[in-house]
Amino acid sequence: MRIGKFFLFRSLFLKIFFSFWLAAAAIIGALTLMARFSYSESMPERLRGSVGEGLALYAETAVQIYDHDGPRAFADFVHRSYVESGTQVFFFDASGNPLSNIDVHGDEDVASLVSQIQQHPQSQERFYHLNLGKLTWGKGIIASSGRRFIFVMHFHSPSLGPPVFLSPLRIIVSILIAGLVCYLLALYLTSPVEKLQSMVKSLAEGNLNARVAPQLGRRSDELAVLGHEFDQMAERIAALISSQKRLLADISHELRSPLARLSVALELARKNSDGKAVPALDRIEQEGERLNKLVGQLLALTRLESGAERIPADIVPLEELVQQVVDDAKFEARPLHKEVKVMVLEHCRVRGSSELLRSAVENVVRNAVRYTVENTAAEVSLQWKLDTAVFSVRDYGPGVPGDELENIFQPFYRVSEARERSSGGTGLGLSIAERTVTLHGGSIRAQNANPGLIVVIEIPLTPSPEHKIASHSQRPVSV
Amino acid sequence: MVPVPVLLIDDDTELGKLLEEYLQSEQLHLDTAHDGPSGLEKALSSQYAVVVLDVMLPGMSGLDVLKQLRLKSSVPVLMLTARGSELDRILGLELGADDYLPKPFNPRELVARLRAILRRTTGAATAGPSGPVRLADVELHPESRSVMRSGESVTLTGAEFDLLHTFLRSAGKIISREDLTQAALGRPMSPVDRSIDVHVSNLRRKLGPYEGEQERIKAIRGSGYVYLLPGEQP
Repeated sequence: MRIGKFFLFRSLFLKIFFSFWLAAAAIIGALTLMARFSYSESMPERLRGSVGEGLALYAETAVQIYDHDGPRAFADFVHRSYVESGTQVFFFDASGNPLSNIDVHGDEDVASLVSQIQQHPQSQERFYHLNLGKLTWGKGIIASSGRRFIFVMHFHSPSLGPPVFLSPLRIIVSILIAGLVCYLLALYLTSPVEKLQSMVKSLAEGNLNARVAPQLGRRSDELAVLGHEFDQMAERIAALISSQKRLLADISHELRSPLARLSVALELARKNSDGKAVPALDRIEQEGERLNKLVGQLLALTRLESGAERIPADIVPLEELVQQVVDDAKFEARPLHKEVKVMVLEHCRVRGSSELLRSAVENVVRNAVRYTVENTAAEVSLQWKLDTAVFSVRDYGPGVPGDELENIFQPFYRVSEARERSSGGTGLGLSIAERTVTLHGGSIRAQNANPGLIVVIEIPLTPSPEHKIASHSQRPVSV
Repeated sequence: MVPVPVLLIDDDTELGKLLEEYLQSEQLHLDTAHDGPSGLEKALSSQYAVVVLDVMLPGMSGLDVLKQLRLKSSVPVLMLTARGSELDRILGLELGADDYLPKPFNPRELVARLRAILRRTTGAATAGPSGPVRLADVELHPESRSVMRSGESVTLTGAEFDLLHTFLRSAGKIISREDLTQAALGRPMSPVDRSIDVHVSNLRRKLGPYEGEQERIKAIRGSGYVYLLPGEQP
């Protein structure tokens, strides 16, 4: 789950993480270079100044000891400083022959320094060599006896070496630590966005109780403010939708109560009247029924269009639903000398509300039964094509003029007024079907079949292994 | 003929008066309650043969009344639901209502439904001698209207009981939805009537599958339902 969310946010998260890390690494690199540079720059100054004076004093002292007290005392003196600070001393006579017993073969720094000093026999100049942070320092010295020596030192003294943080390992470690910090920072910055995103998604899916605030804890930055504003918006939407729902329920109740009383009063009137009133009473009943149907469909349409209806994500077996609707429609078609035939019926699983989908399918099938002429059949088929369930109903009626095909899904649109009235439709059935199908991510269209009309509904299938298995082992369909 | 006492729980007082007048001629005596709590109290007094309950009630919803009622009483209940609210209907039948009628209803239809319920509930007690029915793990006792599954008692509503009885009598045979409706609800099936499917699915859920997850009640598309014999391949 963590991984999934991570990938969901990969772009923002990775952008922040890598750009910060890159910046941090660049800063570390720049600082390192600057430090190295300024160190190299300052070194000659220091060697010419106080440090150089100290070294010269040390060298002269050592030379005096050699000159006065002999090589043994010199070795003692030099050895002490080697033990204390790791300073190596190389000692040569004027012609460059080593006087100390330290092997200098292979040490090019020392050798080149010695030859440099030899080339300036009269000079008191000090020479030095900086190599990989190691300092080789040398000077020609004339002892009080007048003998000339060449004194060279190798330093390991940290105070003279390059700053410790410049070692490559330390640089790598600090870049890695910077990476960790940047990772945490990126996480800190993007996690509220991630939470906000998941809540927006949840709200869009119909969970009106989705709120961000509890997940943000005690943050109070701009993202937290954004979260609070989202919560206020969600609060408002929830209030609007619930008041809309309440209003619809109230309208439904208030419109139907008189109808309920009307139908009871009608039956009472029937009981107490003689035969002459029967046609009129029948008419009252018929109109009452029509009004009732109209109220129901109008409410259904309003509910669909207002968004108050939340589409659940149940898995709906369309073929069962179609079969049930067809069974009912047959029942109603028989007295009208009409038929309903199932041509193809394939397993189709879609996601949504079975109640709404049933009413959509029912409205389309009823419409076909209504318009197909006597002794013909409305032909129903359900097939899946790639990732879509295709449901189509064909009737053998008069069809619809080509330029009006689009309009038949408009509420109260009537192609032929007289026919529609006599067939008892409300003019809302196809609109309800259209809204429902659209809410399920599908489409509906009508085309003339000459004779008759075909209405085709397409709804995306839900991807499930069950569907694949079922479609391969198609069971025989009882019609 | 003594009028059969019927209780109507509905907040529409005018409707109550009209219905009372109408039902009088049908030998049904209607008593009314206008809100949930008082309706529940009256319904629990066990002086009514059948209760007509509106789902949309102020204060306490009809479904809550039904839930409370079913804790203590098995009096038959006919629900009046808002048309188009399938959820109310399914919930109502699951909570133990015997049948439902979408409102606004035709009073003739109401009388037919009431008579069907009364026939079933009073008729069952006097129906001829029929002994217990046993099939595999299920045992049904008509005289006590009780059902045992693997020795454990299963609580069924009146309609579910009659449905199971019908199934067991014709186990292994396909029974059409029309016949099941007639047998279990005592009335002919009307178009666009899904209540038998709800009852079947409730019964299926309460009984569970046979041992080994074998399906117990199978829908036959376009025909009806079949109560499978144990070991029978669906």
